[in-house]
Amino acid sequence: MTRAGNSPMIGQRRAKPTFAERFSGWRVQLVVFGLLAGFAVLVGRGVYLQVVQHDDLTKRGDARTLRDVTVPAHRGRILDREGAVLASSVPARGILAFPDQVEADEKQIASLAQILGQRTADVKKKLNSDRDVVYLARSVSTEKADAVKALKIPGLSLQNEFKREYPSQEVMGQVLGITNVDDIGQEGIELSQNEWLSGKHGARRVMIDRRGGVVEEQGSIRSPQQGRDLQLSLDSRVQHIAFRELKRGVEANRAKGGAAVVLDAKSGEILALVNYPTADPSDRSAAANGGLRNRAVADLFEPGSTMKPFTVATAIDTGVLKASEQIAMTGGQYTLTGATIRDSHSVGSGGYASVLEIVQKSSNVGTARIAERLPNELMSRYLQRAGFGRAPQTGFPGEAHGRLRAAQTWRPIEKATMSYGYGLSVNLVQLARAYTAFANRGSLVDVTLFKNGGVGRQARVYSPETTQIMLPMLERATHRDGTAPQSQVAGYRVAGKTGTAKKLTGATYVDGRYVASFVGLAPVSNPRYVIAVMIDEPSTGLFYGGQVAAPVFSQVMAQTLRLFEVPFDAPTPGVPGAETAVAAIVREGN
Amino acid sequence: MLSQPLKRVHEIALGWFTPRTLPTTKRANAAANGIDLDMSLIWVVTLLLALGLLMVYSSSIASASEAKFTRGSASYFFARQSLFVVIGLVVALFVFDTSMKSWERVAPWLFAAAVLLLILVLIPGIGRVVNGARRWIPLGPFGFQPSEMMKIAMILFAARYAVSKFDVLHADQPLKQSLLRGLGPFILIALFVSVLLLREPDFGATFVVLSCGLLILFMAGLDYRLVVPVLVVGLLAASALVIFEPYRLERIFGFLDPWKQEFGKGYQLTQSLMAIGRGGIFGMGLGAGVSKHYYLPEAHTDFIFAVTAEELGLLGVVLVAASYGWITWRAFKIGREARMNEQHFSSLVAQGIGVLFGVQSMINIAVNMGVAPTKGLTLPLMSYGGSGMMASLVAISILLRIDWENRQLAKGYKV
Repeated sequence: MTRAGNSPMIGQRRAKPTFAERFSGWRVQLVVFGLLAGFAVLVGRGVYLQVVQHDDLTKRGDARTLRDVTVPAHRGRILDREGAVLASSVPARGILAFPDQVEADEKQIASLAQILGQRTADVKKKLNSDRDVVYLARSVSTEKADAVKALKIPGLSLQNEFKREYPSQEVMGQVLGITNVDDIGQEGIELSQNEWLSGKHGARRVMIDRRGGVVEEQGSIRSPQQGRDLQLSLDSRVQHIAFRELKRGVEANRAKGGAAVVLDAKSGEILALVNYPTADPSDRSAAANGGLRNRAVADLFEPGSTMKPFTVATAIDTGVLKASEQIAMTGGQYTLTGATIRDSHSVGSGGYASVLEIVQKSSNVGTARIAERLPNELMSRYLQRAGFGRAPQTGFPGEAHGRLRAAQTWRPIEKATMSYGYGLSVNLVQLARAYTAFANRGSLVDVTLFKNGGVGRQARVYSPETTQIMLPMLERATHRDGTAPQSQVAGYRVAGKTGTAKKLTGATYVDGRYVASFVGLAPVSNPRYVIAVMIDEPSTGLFYGGQVAAPVFSQVMAQTLRLFEVPFDAPTPGVPGAETAVAAIVREGN
Repeated sequence: MLSQPLKRVHEIALGWFTPRTLPTTKRANAAANGIDLDMSLIWVVTLLLALGLLMVYSSSIASASEAKFTRGSASYFFARQSLFVVIGLVVALFVFDTSMKSWERVAPWLFAAAVLLLILVLIPGIGRVVNGARRWIPLGPFGFQPSEMMKIAMILFAARYAVSKFDVLHADQPLKQSLLRGLGPFILIALFVSVLLLREPDFGATFVVLSCGLLILFMAGLDYRLVVPVLVVGLLAASALVIFEPYRLERIFGFLDPWKQEFGKGYQLTQSLMAIGRGGIFGMGLGAGVSKHYYLPEAHTDFIFAVTAEELGLLGVVLVAASYGWITWRAFKIGREARMNEQHFSSLVAQGIGVLFGVQSMINIAVNMGVAPTKGLTLPLMSYGGSGMMASLVAISILLRIDWENRQLAKGYKV
């Protein structure tokens, strides 16, 4: 480029005007000011976005970047009466995956599956899910979670959880129940006391990255409220004793199942409540199959002869029967409106049996003849006062009420069968509770699963005098000539009653399927414990309550009395003194 | 050994690094001669480079420290970008040492080389595909983008074309002549380049390269009778694309209402808008941004402006926009001075560089702010990327060279 030589002359046509001559400055200015105007517009847009729309855009952004994370509150512990831990929540982790962000090679997936104890194919399937987020595992121990974290797989996230641990495993299973993965009670005490036990989760706000990882803590929104501990009336030691002996009894008799209840006769506290078979609440799969059903509370059965003492006591209490009376046995059978009641063995002598013999040897005919003297309403009222026909309200969920039909609808034959425990149904706790009336000078104690400081609400059922008469009769049932000599406990006086009920199958009672039971109390001189044992369908050929349930009772009672160092009240088994006392009552004719 | 301009740079550098308490002869010399470089331009470029490095670091810490290919190094992108800047500055020194006469001479060859590379990159096996676009020629651990080279090549080529074909470009002749001999050949070449770029595809580079080329011709005095038809034909061609393939319509105008597809196609843009809006006036503070935590894809490249706006607020936005505005303004100013000195090639090159910086930064910012369709353009001097950094520093260096030549000419020296 060289400087143009001459400036163009007007009117002179030049073939080639120079660049400089043709250059138009306005075009350049148009371009440069166009560009600068563009920048000005962009700054304007910046003001609009960052000042005018600042709040709106920030809010929209927060919706994606801020999360309220729950701060889990731990669930309260469940303790036994001595403070031993029956259930507690320990920190655990849930493992989440954001499938579209997971980057893992085969080896990583394999080790992940190994840590979680799952199959590689299953883990892969979860990681390939088209859901936004999936749980790989829940309630995983912190150690395992740390191992997962060490794999450094992007797209995985841990969440704080609690895992419920039950140190007593299957021994307490049906009482304690179970929580779900979210630590919410599903069965048993965990369910009924969920409100008390569960804490209130807190929340804190965090800033997360798109993969869900926490970038920054923004502070607490709500602090968590920890759950409260719950103390049960159960005594772990008694529970273990009862469990072991029940298990032995069920297995020895090849029975379908069984249950046992140990009550503190004064306070009404349930010291042990066991079932067999059972399940470990830590093992959710076993628990899910109904293994945690508490049969002692939730299932009903026809009690059979264990009801007889209530019929007799009612008759004595109302004065329609004297303890010294002799009841006509009508040849061991008694026909009422077509149906015939029979005794399985002959009771009494010379066609008559004493009241004592009827109870001691468990005569259906004798009991039915006594019940005949009672008006329907009166007998019904007494049964209700003894707690039949309504739930025992132990604080356990799903209590069965028990069936006791309205007195107006009783036909004579029905009243007769009810007098010896058919045509009505009870659960085992209800039955055990009814026997506290005999242990407490005629007063029924409210039973409870919670520690109550040794005082339970009491309600009078029979007069103390009536129980004074009843107790020796029940004690005689445990003697050599009673139905349950195997219920005896060395060194203590024991009273109780056997029950052997045919099971109702459809609408008929069939031979071969029995519920054997025994309910008793000790020591008779100052009753401390009431124990009820029920064995469902023993199948070795032995099926009487005295053969099947009484030995379990004897073992549990003996070990419980020894455990609490209860003073002996009999120097040797089968104390003669007791027989003397009964003889005196019979003689006196009260 | 060193040529004259490099000696000057050396002297100036010595002057900077010499303690001010101990003035040396060289320092005195530099002061006596006056600084022969556009210092405001150098400062603004330095500012953008520093800010860019900072923002590349800030916006990539989270992703780099967790990604596999970085081996968990948080400073992976920062280190590479720093290296790019250093290499770019070294290259810029040599560019600065190259006279505009040499550039004018080699412009067609450089352009031919750029075209060749654009063809090469399209050949599978040579060009590397990233995110569905075949834009890179792998060079060891780095990648070379011929489209970035084409931006410079097009400016040089168009400037030389305009100067040498000046006789047949302007309106002093029959329209037929200016169309067939002036604009025609250039349009054909530009279309060929466009087709190559669109094959990658790289819409952003196509737009920038065409803007630079056509605006240089326009500023050089293209026959006014052709200006309107070129615009009309361009618009018609764009409309035709949209009409024949309607899916493009939504893709192009989707940016107008990104919230409609907040979690779909509008995702990146809504994240960018939220990032900018979140920044407010003063910003969230350097490093305190949220969007870079995987929310905003391409945070360290195409959307580095959004992260800057988020962390530095409106103040940062104004600073950045003003900086690019200043570079654009200085480029045109240097071009005007070159024109005064009858350096018409240099003048058009300087203005072309002004267009390059102005258009590319403006479109990038506009995309970030949701006022232009998403194109895939980086922010010159700031976005992460070696080829882009190289091209930007070469362009700035050419600009400084033109400015230096202007000053030399003004003092009566020859260049």
